[in-house]
Amino acid sequence: MNSMIYKNKKPLLVFLVPAFAFLIVFLYYPFFQNVVNTFMRIGGLGRAAQGLNTPWYENYRRLFTDPYMHTALQNTLLLTLCTIVFQVGIALILALLVDTIRVGAQFFRTVYFFPIVISATALGLMFNLIFLYKGGMVNQLLLSLGRLPYEVKPSGKVLVQWLDWKDQAHFLFTMFMPVMWQYVGFYFVILVTGLNNISPDLFEAAALDGADGWKRTRYITLPLLRNVLCTCLVLAITGALKVFDLPWVMFGAGMPENRGWLTGTYMYDQTFNRMNVDYGSTIAVLIVVLGVVLSNVANRVFRPSDDL
Amino acid sequence: MKKALALLLALIMVLSLGAVAWADGVTLNVVTSYGGDDGNRGNFEAAVKAYEASTGNKVNDGSATSNEEWKAKVLTDFETGSEPDVLFFFTNADAEPFISAGKVVSIEEIRAEYPDYATNMRDSMLAVASDGKQYAVPSYGYWENMFVNKTVLADCGIEVPGPDYTWDQFLADCETIKANGYTPIACSLVEVPHYWFEFLVMNNGTVANHLDIPAAADDAAGAKWVAALEDFKALYEAGYFPANTLTASDAETVEMFNQGEAAFLIDGSWKVGYFTENAADLNDFAISYVPAKGERKASEAIGGISMGYFITRKAWDDPAKREAAVEFVSQLTSDDVLSTFVTTEVTALINGAKPAGLNPLQQSAADANANITAIAGAVQDTITGEAKADLFGNIQNVVTGKMSATDAVAAAIALN
Repeated sequence: MNSMIYKNKKPLLVFLVPAFAFLIVFLYYPFFQNVVNTFMRIGGLGRAAQGLNTPWYENYRRLFTDPYMHTALQNTLLLTLCTIVFQVGIALILALLVDTIRVGAQFFRTVYFFPIVISATALGLMFNLIFLYKGGMVNQLLLSLGRLPYEVKPSGKVLVQWLDWKDQAHFLFTMFMPVMWQYVGFYFVILVTGLNNISPDLFEAAALDGADGWKRTRYITLPLLRNVLCTCLVLAITGALKVFDLPWVMFGAGMPENRGWLTGTYMYDQTFNRMNVDYGSTIAVLIVVLGVVLSNVANRVFRPSDDL
Repeated sequence: MKKALALLLALIMVLSLGAVAWADGVTLNVVTSYGGDDGNRGNFEAAVKAYEASTGNKVNDGSATSNEEWKAKVLTDFETGSEPDVLFFFTNADAEPFISAGKVVSIEEIRAEYPDYATNMRDSMLAVASDGKQYAVPSYGYWENMFVNKTVLADCGIEVPGPDYTWDQFLADCETIKANGYTPIACSLVEVPHYWFEFLVMNNGTVANHLDIPAAADDAAGAKWVAALEDFKALYEAGYFPANTLTASDAETVEMFNQGEAAFLIDGSWKVGYFTENAADLNDFAISYVPAKGERKASEAIGGISMGYFITRKAWDDPAKREAAVEFVSQLTSDDVLSTFVTTEVTALINGAKPAGLNPLQQSAADANANITAIAGAVQDTITGEAKADLFGNIQNVVTGKMSATDAVAAAIALN
């Protein structure tokens, strides 16, 4: 029966062609049109182009000279790095810890995965309250611990010097931390599933040979988890390049003082708020190129081993 | 079992489709600025419910809070063919893209079929588009002026400013307020510097030339704008804005004022509703006057009628929705309904609005308005969205010295 299916390829086409046509119409054609738009002058989404830019490569020239674009790129690459270290790193530690416990593993899986099911907008609003300048949760905690300076004015009014978690000194932490927190659970679940696929016989044999917990992790768990870990890293890198919603809700247009741009938020602002569609398209092209290059690099660096 | 479940699901789907098809009335997609924190949100919801009850139609309400992002989204919806059936929107240059694209229907065309449409309005007060036609049925007007927190002022030994308030007095008051541990001005420079911009421009010109648009940063109108941005910088450097003015949202700074942490707030008539719903004691607040310098008097303010209801071409060309849309606008702009929205604002109603008893803050607004000697529209409403976004986006750069005021004005003009 199986051999008949493989001999006759026509039924496969019936299933493949619609999906392929869908991608052509809704992905490749818009992308091609987007590339064309980068050379045009377009003053609003949906408006007709008003001819070619002068010079036609103006948007690409601007891309390399725009200081806000440089900021956006720096922040995005830093976010990508933090994603690898903290998102996947913390997920790995949590997965290893949960894997060692016998009671409550399911509970922790649910708890760590839960942030994924909450919308980024809701999370952004929640973290806005947590990091709120006056009366935010973190600042209240610092105040109660006596870590915030205050001054008593002649009128008797107490003037607390609240910590601005969105200022230039703190915005990267305030922006990145919720993003890290949100997706740790996603990689945690993938890694826990990977851990479950490792045969317990190996651990029992290692235990009989006298290997302690660290050695079992170092010489059995991590090598056998390598392929899953590689997949997580590639997903994390490509995902970091597309981060938009949570930073946008918390920081809007480049807060603070145009230091907080990410490639995603800058593209959105140029396209939808400033109606600079052609430049927004150029940033989109850069994001795609960056995504393809970085995911290729990640695939090569973290290439899954065929031996495992 | 699986077959039975599949059949059941299919049956539910068919029945739900049928239910939609057999439902009475039509569903009208409506977008307005009566979003969650608008002071008139409750009145709008009540008016929509009354409309639904009287017509059997349903309203799919896509309202949101008005800001630059919301405006951009509305315009994008028109450009991508996703416009609503009825839109409550600005009647100034912001509406030109969809008016010039023929995406909304003129009042003249509607009256050809519905002669009573908007006949309760003064035609002379309906906004005229660049093609000479009138499209929007106005709701009510607005004023912008200075709200003061009386408790903070009293704590600092300062009187509530009168219509002769000068800039020098204001600066002296700000210094006193700051010395007493309060923030003088509640304003988010990164999100809503709009109201201060209007008055700072007027302070560097006159009410008569307030609506002049610069052609260059060094012409007469451009010089006013440059001087206004430099005033922003002076106030910022003096420490009169909140310490986090470059990272705070407008909601945060307004709440700061509401909680008695700041003394002055420039905002619009719509904010009276916010304080009515959120203030612990309305007697803590009053409507005063924005301090004046140069030729401007503090009794001269910003105001006008800037928003109205549009019926889109899409709804008009849909036989099922045409009457529903006309009836919706007619009900929402009737004398009775508008009277529930209005307290101290001007309307275009021929018979005028008849608001019920005013609360202390509304009464304060009415008293202040009685002393207003001249009014001008907001100059920012006459420039393109791109220019406005650039100008207001650069205010943070000007106050921190990263950009000169002249360069900021020149950059905005280039986009207008």
